Amino acid sequence: MVTQLLNGMWMTGGIFFLTLIFSLPLGLLVAKARMSKNFILKNVTRIYISIMRGTPLMLQLLVVYFGPYFLFKIPLSALDVTFVPDLDYSFSATIIAFSVNYAAYFAEIYRSGIESIEIGQYEASHVLGFSKTQTFFKIILPQTIKRILPSITNEVITLVKDTSLAFAISVVEMFTISKQLASMEASMIPYLMAGVFYYIFNALVAFVMERIEKHYSYYKI
Amino acid sequence: MKLLEVKSLKKQFGDKEILKDITFDLQESEVLCIIGPSGSGKSTLLRCLTMLEIPDSGSIKYFDDYLCKGDGENFKYADKKTAEKIRNFFGLVFQNFNLFPHFSVLRNITEAQTAVHKIPKDKAKAKALDLLSKLDLSDKVENYPCELSGGEKQRVSIARALALNPKILFFDEPTSALDPELTVEILKVIKNLAKEKMTMVIVTHEMDFAANVADKIIFMDAGHIIECGQAQEVINSPKTDRLKAFLSKMSD
Repeated sequence: MVTQLLNGMWMTGGIFFLTLIFSLPLGLLVAKARMSKNFILKNVTRIYISIMRGTPLMLQLLVVYFGPYFLFKIPLSALDVTFVPDLDYSFSATIIAFSVNYAAYFAEIYRSGIESIEIGQYEASHVLGFSKTQTFFKIILPQTIKRILPSITNEVITLVKDTSLAFAISVVEMFTISKQLASMEASMIPYLMAGVFYYIFNALVAFVMERIEKHYSYYKI
Repeated sequence: MKLLEVKSLKKQFGDKEILKDITFDLQESEVLCIIGPSGSGKSTLLRCLTMLEIPDSGSIKYFDDYLCKGDGENFKYADKKTAEKIRNFFGLVFQNFNLFPHFSVLRNITEAQTAVHKIPKDKAKAKALDLLSKLDLSDKVENYPCELSGGEKQRVSIARALALNPKILFFDEPTSALDPELTVEILKVIKNLAKEKMTMVIVTHEMDFAANVADKIIFMDAGHIIECGQAQEVINSPKTDRLKAFLSKMSD
Protein backbone atom coordinates (compact mmCIF):
# COMPACT_ATOMS: atom_id res chain seq x y z
CA MET A 1 0.00 0.00 0.00
CA VAL A 2 2.80 2.38 0.93
CA THR A 3 4.57 1.71 -2.38
CA GLN A 4 1.38 2.36 -4.29
CA LEU A 5 0.87 5.62 -2.47
CA LEU A 6 4.50 6.56 -2.98
CA ASN A 7 4.05 5.97 -6.69
CA GLY A 8 1.16 8.39 -6.57
CA MET A 9 3.43 10.80 -4.73
CA TRP A 10 5.55 11.15 -7.87
CA MET A 11 2.55 12.40 -9.74
CA THR A 12 1.56 14.69 -6.88
CA GLY A 13 5.11 16.10 -6.76
CA GLY A 14 5.12 16.48 -10.54
CA ILE A 15 1.91 18.51 -10.51
CA PHE A 16 3.25 20.57 -7.62
CA PHE A 17 6.62 21.46 -9.16
CA LEU A 18 5.42 22.01 -12.71
CA THR A 19 2.64 24.27 -11.46
CA LEU A 20 5.16 26.35 -9.50
CA ILE A 21 7.59 26.52 -12.42
CA PHE A 22 4.89 27.89 -14.71
CA SER A 23 2.77 29.94 -12.35
CA LEU A 24 5.47 31.90 -10.52
CA PRO A 25 6.87 33.66 -13.64
CA LEU A 26 3.42 33.84 -15.23
CA GLY A 27 2.11 35.52 -12.09
CA LEU A 28 4.79 38.19 -12.36
CA LEU A 29 3.80 38.89 -15.96
CA VAL A 30 0.14 39.09 -14.97
CA ALA A 31 1.01 41.44 -12.10
CA LYS A 32 2.90 43.73 -14.50
CA ALA A 33 -0.05 43.69 -16.89
CA ARG A 34 -2.45 44.38 -14.03
CA MET A 35 -0.39 47.44 -13.03
CA SER A 36 0.14 48.64 -16.59
CA LYS A 37 -1.19 52.01 -17.72
CA ASN A 38 -2.70 50.38 -20.79
CA PHE A 39 -6.47 50.38 -20.23
CA ILE A 40 -7.20 47.16 -22.13
CA LEU A 41 -4.30 45.18 -20.67
CA LYS A 42 -5.14 46.35 -17.17
CA ASN A 43 -8.81 45.43 -17.38
CA VAL A 44 -8.36 42.15 -19.22
CA THR A 45 -6.02 40.96 -16.47
CA ARG A 46 -8.35 42.32 -13.82
CA ILE A 47 -11.21 40.22 -15.24
CA TYR A 48 -8.93 37.20 -15.60
CA ILE A 49 -7.85 37.41 -11.95
CA SER A 50 -11.42 37.92 -10.81
CA ILE A 51 -12.64 34.81 -12.69
CA MET A 52 -9.73 32.68 -11.44
CA ARG A 53 -10.36 33.69 -7.86
CA GLY A 54 -14.12 33.72 -8.10
CA THR A 55 -14.73 30.20 -9.41
CA PRO A 56 -13.69 26.82 -7.98
CA LEU A 57 -10.40 25.37 -9.13
CA MET A 58 -12.14 22.04 -9.68
CA LEU A 59 -14.55 23.67 -12.13
CA GLN A 60 -11.65 25.32 -13.97
CA LEU A 61 -9.94 21.96 -14.14
CA LEU A 62 -12.99 20.35 -15.73
CA VAL A 63 -13.33 23.20 -18.22
CA VAL A 64 -9.71 22.87 -19.32
CA TYR A 65 -10.02 19.09 -19.53
CA PHE A 66 -13.35 18.77 -21.34
CA GLY A 67 -13.34 22.16 -23.09
CA PRO A 68 -11.40 21.07 -26.18
CA TYR A 69 -13.88 18.25 -26.87
CA PHE A 70 -17.14 19.97 -25.97
CA LEU A 71 -16.24 23.28 -27.60
CA PHE A 72 -14.13 22.21 -30.57
CA LYS A 73 -14.83 18.48 -30.93
CA ILE A 74 -11.15 17.68 -30.53
CA PRO A 75 -10.80 14.10 -29.26
CA LEU A 76 -8.97 14.13 -25.92
CA SER A 77 -6.62 11.40 -27.10
CA ALA A 78 -5.30 13.81 -29.75
CA LEU A 79 -4.01 15.99 -26.91
CA ASP A 80 -2.08 13.28 -25.08
CA VAL A 81 1.45 14.02 -23.98
CA THR A 82 3.47 12.09 -26.49
CA PHE A 83 6.98 12.45 -25.08
CA VAL A 84 6.18 10.74 -21.78
CA PRO A 85 4.42 7.39 -22.33
CA ASP A 86 2.19 7.16 -19.24
CA LEU A 87 0.82 10.68 -19.36
CA ASP A 88 -2.36 11.59 -21.14
CA TYR A 89 -4.14 14.91 -21.59
CA SER A 90 -5.55 14.79 -18.07
CA PHE A 91 -2.05 15.53 -16.77
CA SER A 92 -1.46 18.48 -19.13
CA ALA A 93 -4.93 19.79 -18.35
CA THR A 94 -4.11 19.69 -14.63
CA ILE A 95 -0.86 21.60 -15.12
CA ILE A 96 -2.54 24.17 -17.36
CA ALA A 97 -5.51 24.72 -15.04
CA PHE A 98 -3.37 24.85 -11.91
CA SER A 99 -0.75 27.16 -13.43
CA VAL A 100 -3.32 29.59 -14.79
CA ASN A 101 -5.22 29.57 -11.49
CA TYR A 102 -2.18 29.95 -9.25
CA ALA A 103 -0.70 32.63 -11.51
CA ALA A 104 -3.73 34.77 -10.69
CA TYR A 105 -3.17 34.42 -6.95
CA PHE A 106 0.57 34.96 -7.27
CA ALA A 107 -0.06 38.01 -9.45
CA GLU A 108 -2.00 39.70 -6.67
CA ILE A 109 0.73 38.84 -4.18
CA TYR A 110 3.41 40.25 -6.48
CA ARG A 111 1.30 43.36 -6.99
CA SER A 112 0.85 43.96 -3.28
CA GLY A 113 4.61 43.55 -2.82
CA ILE A 114 5.63 45.79 -5.70
CA GLU A 115 3.21 48.50 -4.65
CA SER A 116 4.58 48.44 -1.12
CA ILE A 117 8.10 49.48 -2.23
CA GLU A 118 8.72 53.13 -1.34
CA ILE A 119 8.64 55.63 -4.17
CA GLY A 120 12.08 56.78 -2.99
CA GLN A 121 13.62 53.56 -4.31
CA TYR A 122 12.36 54.43 -7.79
CA GLU A 123 13.50 58.03 -7.46
CA ALA A 124 16.99 57.08 -6.31
CA SER A 125 17.30 54.60 -9.19
CA HIS A 126 16.04 57.20 -11.63
CA VAL A 127 18.51 59.85 -10.46
CA LEU A 128 21.38 57.37 -10.62
CA GLY A 129 20.50 56.62 -14.22
CA PHE A 130 19.20 53.05 -13.98
CA SER A 131 16.87 52.12 -16.85
CA LYS A 132 13.33 51.02 -16.05
CA THR A 133 14.24 47.37 -16.59
CA GLN A 134 17.34 47.66 -14.39
CA THR A 135 15.35 49.42 -11.70
CA PHE A 136 12.76 46.67 -11.68
CA PHE A 137 15.08 43.68 -11.71
CA LYS A 138 17.95 45.06 -9.61
CA ILE A 139 16.16 47.22 -7.09
CA ILE A 140 12.43 46.56 -6.88
CA LEU A 141 12.01 42.82 -7.48
CA PRO A 142 14.58 41.57 -4.92
CA GLN A 143 12.95 43.66 -2.19
CA THR A 144 9.50 42.56 -3.35
CA ILE A 145 10.43 38.89 -3.07
CA LYS A 146 11.60 39.37 0.49
CA ARG A 147 8.34 41.05 1.43
CA ILE A 148 6.00 38.57 -0.21
CA LEU A 149 7.69 35.33 0.88
CA PRO A 150 5.28 34.66 3.77
CA SER A 151 2.25 35.06 1.46
CA ILE A 152 3.91 32.90 -1.20
CA THR A 153 4.50 30.20 1.43
CA ASN A 154 0.77 30.20 2.19
CA GLU A 155 -0.12 29.68 -1.44
CA VAL A 156 2.50 26.98 -1.96
CA ILE A 157 1.18 25.03 1.01
CA THR A 158 -2.34 25.31 -0.35
CA LEU A 159 -1.04 24.05 -3.68
CA VAL A 160 0.27 20.85 -2.09
CA LYS A 161 -3.22 20.10 -0.87
CA ASP A 162 -4.92 21.29 -4.07
CA THR A 163 -3.04 18.70 -6.12
CA SER A 164 -5.62 16.22 -4.80
CA LEU A 165 -8.26 17.94 -6.96
CA ALA A 166 -6.69 16.25 -9.98
CA PHE A 167 -8.60 13.12 -8.99
CA ALA A 168 -11.65 14.80 -10.56
CA ILE A 169 -10.24 14.10 -14.03
CA SER A 170 -8.69 10.76 -13.05
CA VAL A 171 -5.08 11.81 -12.83
CA VAL A 172 -3.43 8.98 -10.94
CA GLU A 173 -1.89 11.04 -8.14
CA MET A 174 -1.70 10.09 -4.50
CA PHE A 175 -5.21 11.09 -3.50
CA THR A 176 -6.78 9.16 -6.38
CA ILE A 177 -4.80 6.09 -5.37
CA SER A 178 -5.68 6.36 -1.71
CA LYS A 179 -9.34 6.65 -2.64
CA GLN A 180 -9.13 3.52 -4.78
CA LEU A 181 -7.28 1.64 -2.04
CA ALA A 182 -9.75 2.73 0.60
CA SER A 183 -12.77 1.48 -1.31
CA MET A 184 -10.98 -1.70 -2.41
CA GLU A 185 -9.92 -2.65 1.10
CA ALA A 186 -12.87 -1.02 2.84
CA SER A 187 -10.42 0.65 5.21
CA MET A 188 -9.59 4.12 6.55
CA ILE A 189 -5.87 3.39 6.61
CA PRO A 190 -5.14 4.60 3.03
CA TYR A 191 -6.76 7.95 3.84
CA LEU A 192 -4.77 8.19 7.02
CA MET A 193 -1.57 7.42 5.14
CA ALA A 194 -2.44 9.97 2.50
CA GLY A 195 -2.94 12.55 5.26
CA VAL A 196 0.46 11.75 6.70
CA PHE A 197 2.08 12.10 3.28
CA TYR A 198 0.50 15.49 2.64
CA TYR A 199 1.52 16.60 6.09
CA ILE A 200 5.15 15.56 5.58
CA PHE A 201 5.20 17.16 2.14
CA ASN A 202 4.00 20.42 3.64
CA ALA A 203 6.40 20.22 6.54
CA LEU A 204 9.19 20.01 3.94
CA VAL A 205 7.73 22.94 2.03
CA ALA A 206 7.52 25.01 5.21
CA PHE A 207 11.11 24.10 6.06
CA VAL A 208 12.42 25.09 2.62
CA MET A 209 10.47 28.36 2.61
CA GLU A 210 11.79 29.17 6.05
CA ARG A 211 15.32 28.64 4.77
CA ILE A 212 14.64 30.96 1.87
CA GLU A 213 13.24 33.59 4.24
CA LYS A 214 16.33 33.22 6.36
CA HIS A 215 18.49 33.69 3.29
CA TYR A 216 16.85 37.09 2.80
CA SER A 217 17.11 38.08 6.45
CA TYR A 218 20.56 39.61 6.01
CA TYR A 219 18.88 42.96 5.52
CA LYS A 220 15.83 44.85 6.72
CA ILE A 221 13.69 47.08 4.60
CA MET B 1 31.20 79.63 -15.68
CA LYS B 2 27.44 79.19 -15.45
CA LEU B 3 26.49 75.59 -14.74
CA LEU B 4 22.78 76.09 -14.29
CA GLU B 5 20.36 78.73 -15.43
CA VAL B 6 16.69 78.75 -14.49
CA LYS B 7 14.24 81.20 -16.05
CA SER B 8 10.58 81.86 -15.20
CA LEU B 9 10.04 78.33 -14.01
CA LYS B 10 6.44 77.45 -13.19
CA LYS B 11 4.85 74.32 -11.82
CA GLN B 12 1.38 73.60 -10.58
CA PHE B 13 -0.35 70.55 -9.16
CA GLY B 14 -3.99 70.70 -10.12
CA ASP B 15 -5.12 74.25 -9.35
CA LYS B 16 -2.36 74.85 -6.89
CA GLU B 17 0.57 76.87 -8.18
CA ILE B 18 3.64 75.63 -6.37
CA LEU B 19 6.31 77.44 -8.36
CA LYS B 20 5.19 80.78 -9.71
CA ASP B 21 8.12 82.42 -11.40
CA ILE B 22 11.53 81.13 -10.46
CA THR B 23 14.63 82.64 -12.00
CA PHE B 24 18.19 82.22 -10.79
CA ASP B 25 21.55 80.89 -11.89
CA LEU B 26 24.39 78.93 -10.44
CA GLN B 27 28.10 79.42 -11.08
CA GLU B 28 30.74 76.74 -10.94
CA SER B 29 32.01 76.04 -7.37
CA GLU B 30 29.18 78.04 -5.93
CA VAL B 31 27.25 76.79 -2.91
CA LEU B 32 23.64 77.85 -3.02
CA CYS B 33 21.27 77.33 -0.12
CA ILE B 34 17.53 77.50 -0.61
CA ILE B 35 15.58 78.38 2.52
CA GLY B 36 11.96 79.10 3.22
CA PRO B 37 8.92 77.87 5.13
CA SER B 38 7.47 74.47 4.33
CA GLY B 39 5.13 74.58 1.39
CA SER B 40 7.12 77.40 -0.16
CA GLY B 41 8.07 75.24 -3.16
CA LYS B 42 11.76 74.59 -2.36
CA SER B 43 11.49 70.84 -2.64
CA THR B 44 9.38 71.04 -5.79
CA LEU B 45 12.00 73.32 -7.30
CA LEU B 46 14.70 70.80 -6.49
CA ARG B 47 12.60 67.97 -7.90
CA CYS B 48 12.10 69.89 -11.15
CA LEU B 49 15.84 70.50 -11.40
CA THR B 50 16.62 66.83 -10.78
CA MET B 51 14.10 65.49 -13.29
CA LEU B 52 11.80 63.95 -10.70
CA GLU B 53 9.08 66.41 -11.64
CA ILE B 54 8.35 68.01 -15.01
CA PRO B 55 7.66 71.75 -14.79
CA ASP B 56 4.82 73.36 -16.74
CA SER B 57 6.62 76.33 -18.15
CA GLY B 58 9.94 78.13 -18.20
CA SER B 59 13.47 76.98 -18.86
CA ILE B 60 16.17 74.99 -17.12
CA LYS B 61 19.57 75.05 -18.78
CA TYR B 62 22.45 72.87 -17.65
CA PHE B 63 25.70 74.25 -19.03
CA ASP B 64 24.89 74.08 -22.75
CA ASP B 65 21.83 71.88 -22.73
CA TYR B 66 18.24 72.80 -22.12
CA LEU B 67 16.32 70.39 -19.90
CA CYS B 68 13.23 72.35 -20.81
CA LYS B 69 12.29 75.65 -22.36
CA GLY B 70 9.36 77.66 -23.64
CA ASP B 71 6.18 78.97 -22.09
CA GLY B 72 2.76 77.41 -21.94
CA GLU B 73 1.92 75.85 -25.33
CA ASN B 74 5.50 76.07 -26.56
CA PHE B 75 6.92 74.30 -23.54
CA LYS B 76 9.33 71.58 -24.57
CA TYR B 77 11.10 68.97 -22.47
CA ALA B 78 14.47 67.55 -23.51
CA ASP B 79 14.53 64.41 -25.66
CA LYS B 80 15.74 61.18 -24.15
CA LYS B 81 19.35 61.59 -25.24
CA THR B 82 19.73 65.10 -23.88
CA ALA B 83 17.95 64.10 -20.70
CA GLU B 84 20.43 61.24 -20.21
CA LYS B 85 23.31 63.65 -20.74
CA ILE B 86 21.89 66.09 -18.23
CA ARG B 87 21.25 63.32 -15.72
CA ASN B 88 24.97 62.57 -15.67
CA PHE B 89 25.59 66.20 -14.87
CA PHE B 90 24.17 66.18 -11.37
CA GLY B 91 23.73 64.05 -8.27
CA LEU B 92 21.00 64.15 -5.64
CA VAL B 93 21.08 63.41 -1.93
CA PHE B 94 17.65 62.68 -0.48
CA GLN B 95 16.19 63.59 2.87
CA ASN B 96 15.39 59.92 3.56
CA PHE B 97 18.64 58.64 2.05
CA ASN B 98 16.85 56.12 -0.18
CA LEU B 99 19.73 53.70 -0.02
CA PHE B 100 19.15 50.28 -1.55
CA PRO B 101 18.53 48.13 1.54
CA HIS B 102 19.39 44.82 -0.16
CA PHE B 103 22.83 46.01 -1.28
CA SER B 104 25.89 46.33 0.92
CA VAL B 105 27.33 49.81 1.44
CA LEU B 106 29.93 49.03 -1.21
CA ARG B 107 27.42 47.83 -3.76
CA ASN B 108 25.19 50.83 -3.14
CA ILE B 109 28.08 52.90 -4.43
CA THR B 110 29.36 50.66 -7.21
CA GLU B 111 26.10 49.48 -8.77
CA ALA B 112 25.29 52.59 -10.82
CA GLN B 113 28.93 52.90 -11.88
CA THR B 114 29.04 49.37 -13.26
CA ALA B 115 25.46 48.89 -14.46
CA VAL B 116 24.80 52.35 -15.89
CA HIS B 117 28.21 53.72 -16.80
CA LYS B 118 29.86 50.37 -17.61
CA ILE B 119 32.88 51.14 -15.46
CA PRO B 120 34.92 47.97 -14.78
CA LYS B 121 34.19 46.40 -11.41
CA ASP B 122 37.64 46.86 -9.87
CA LYS B 123 37.74 50.51 -10.89
CA ALA B 124 34.27 51.13 -9.47
CA LYS B 125 35.27 49.41 -6.25
CA ALA B 126 38.47 51.46 -5.94
CA LYS B 127 36.46 54.63 -6.44
CA ALA B 128 33.92 53.55 -3.82
CA LEU B 129 36.59 52.63 -1.27
CA ASP B 130 38.32 55.94 -1.82
CA LEU B 131 35.09 57.87 -1.22
CA LEU B 132 34.21 55.75 1.81
CA SER B 133 37.56 56.42 3.41
CA LYS B 134 37.15 60.11 2.70
CA LEU B 135 33.77 60.02 4.41
CA ASP B 136 35.14 58.04 7.33
CA LEU B 137 33.19 54.90 6.51
CA SER B 138 36.02 52.50 5.75
CA ASP B 139 34.86 50.08 8.45
CA LYS B 140 31.32 49.88 7.02
CA VAL B 141 32.12 48.70 3.51
CA GLU B 142 30.48 45.29 3.87
CA ASN B 143 27.63 46.42 6.14
CA TYR B 144 24.04 46.78 5.03
CA PRO B 145 22.10 50.06 5.33
CA CYS B 146 19.93 48.67 8.14
CA GLU B 147 23.06 48.35 10.28
CA LEU B 148 24.02 52.02 9.96
CA SER B 149 23.08 55.11 11.93
CA GLY B 150 21.18 57.87 10.15
CA GLY B 151 24.32 59.94 9.77
CA GLU B 152 26.21 57.01 8.30
CA LYS B 153 23.35 56.30 5.91
CA GLN B 154 23.41 59.87 4.73
CA ARG B 155 27.18 59.76 4.24
CA VAL B 156 26.80 56.59 2.16
CA SER B 157 24.18 58.29 0.05
CA ILE B 158 26.53 61.24 -0.46
CA ALA B 159 29.27 58.80 -1.51
CA ARG B 160 26.81 57.09 -3.85
CA ALA B 161 26.07 60.41 -5.55
CA LEU B 162 29.73 61.49 -5.67
CA ALA B 163 30.79 58.19 -7.25
CA LEU B 164 29.27 59.30 -10.54
CA ASN B 165 31.37 62.50 -10.59
CA PRO B 166 28.51 65.00 -10.72
CA LYS B 167 29.24 68.60 -11.67
CA ILE B 168 26.46 69.74 -9.35
CA LEU B 169 25.31 68.02 -6.19
CA PHE B 170 21.78 68.68 -4.98
CA PHE B 171 20.72 68.11 -1.37
CA ASP B 172 17.06 67.91 -0.41
CA GLU B 173 16.93 68.73 3.31
CA PRO B 174 19.83 66.34 3.97
CA THR B 175 19.64 66.66 7.76
CA SER B 176 15.89 66.79 8.35
CA ALA B 177 15.68 63.09 9.17
CA LEU B 178 18.62 63.25 11.60
CA ASP B 179 18.95 64.19 15.23
CA PRO B 180 21.11 67.22 16.09
CA GLU B 181 24.28 65.27 16.79
CA LEU B 182 24.18 63.51 13.44
CA THR B 183 23.19 66.73 11.72
CA VAL B 184 26.53 68.23 12.68
CA GLU B 185 28.25 65.21 11.19
CA ILE B 186 26.58 65.68 7.80
CA LEU B 187 27.03 69.44 7.77
CA LYS B 188 30.75 68.87 8.29
CA VAL B 189 30.85 66.61 5.25
CA ILE B 190 29.08 69.25 3.16
CA LYS B 191 31.48 71.92 4.44
CA ASN B 192 34.42 69.79 3.36
CA LEU B 193 32.90 69.36 -0.07
CA ALA B 194 32.52 73.12 -0.28
CA LYS B 195 36.21 73.49 0.51
CA GLU B 196 36.95 71.19 -2.41
CA LYS B 197 34.99 73.57 -4.62
CA MET B 198 32.09 71.22 -5.22
CA THR B 199 29.15 73.04 -6.77
CA MET B 200 26.14 72.44 -4.54
CA VAL B 201 22.49 73.39 -4.18
CA ILE B 202 21.15 72.69 -0.71
CA VAL B 203 17.58 72.95 0.48
CA THR B 204 17.92 73.34 4.23
CA HIS B 205 16.38 74.51 7.48
CA GLU B 206 19.77 75.02 9.12
CA MET B 207 20.11 78.80 9.06
CA ASP B 208 23.52 79.01 10.76
CA PHE B 209 24.86 76.44 8.41
CA ALA B 210 23.45 78.25 5.40
CA ALA B 211 25.00 81.51 6.56
CA ASN B 212 28.38 79.85 7.08
CA VAL B 213 28.73 77.60 4.07
CA ALA B 214 26.64 79.11 1.32
CA ASP B 215 27.95 81.68 -1.10
CA LYS B 216 24.44 82.57 -2.08
CA ILE B 217 21.09 82.15 -0.42
CA ILE B 218 17.65 82.08 -1.99
CA PHE B 219 14.67 82.69 0.26
CA MET B 220 11.45 81.31 -1.15
CA ASP B 221 7.89 81.82 -0.06
CA ALA B 222 4.63 80.78 -1.72
CA GLY B 223 6.31 79.80 -4.98
CA HIS B 224 8.32 82.98 -5.40
CA ILE B 225 11.94 83.89 -4.78
CA ILE B 226 11.57 86.68 -2.25
CA GLU B 227 15.23 87.40 -1.68
CA CYS B 228 18.41 86.24 -3.30
CA GLY B 229 21.92 87.39 -2.53
CA GLN B 230 25.20 86.91 -0.69
CA ALA B 231 24.65 84.50 2.17
CA GLN B 232 25.72 86.71 5.09
CA GLU B 233 23.84 89.65 3.70
CA VAL B 234 20.58 87.76 3.26
CA ILE B 235 20.72 86.31 6.77
CA ASN B 236 22.09 89.34 8.63
CA SER B 237 20.27 92.13 6.89
CA PRO B 238 17.01 90.85 5.41
CA LYS B 239 15.27 93.40 3.26
CA THR B 240 11.72 92.07 3.21
CA ASP B 241 9.31 91.64 6.10
CA ARG B 242 8.62 88.10 5.06
CA LEU B 243 12.25 87.03 5.40
CA LYS B 244 12.56 88.98 8.69
CA ALA B 245 9.51 87.15 10.04
CA PHE B 246 10.84 83.80 8.81
CA LEU B 247 14.28 84.32 10.35
CA SER B 248 12.94 85.41 13.70
CA LYS B 249 10.64 82.39 13.73
CA MET B 250 13.55 80.09 12.94
CA SER B 251 15.74 81.50 15.71
CA ASP B 252 13.08 80.94 18.37
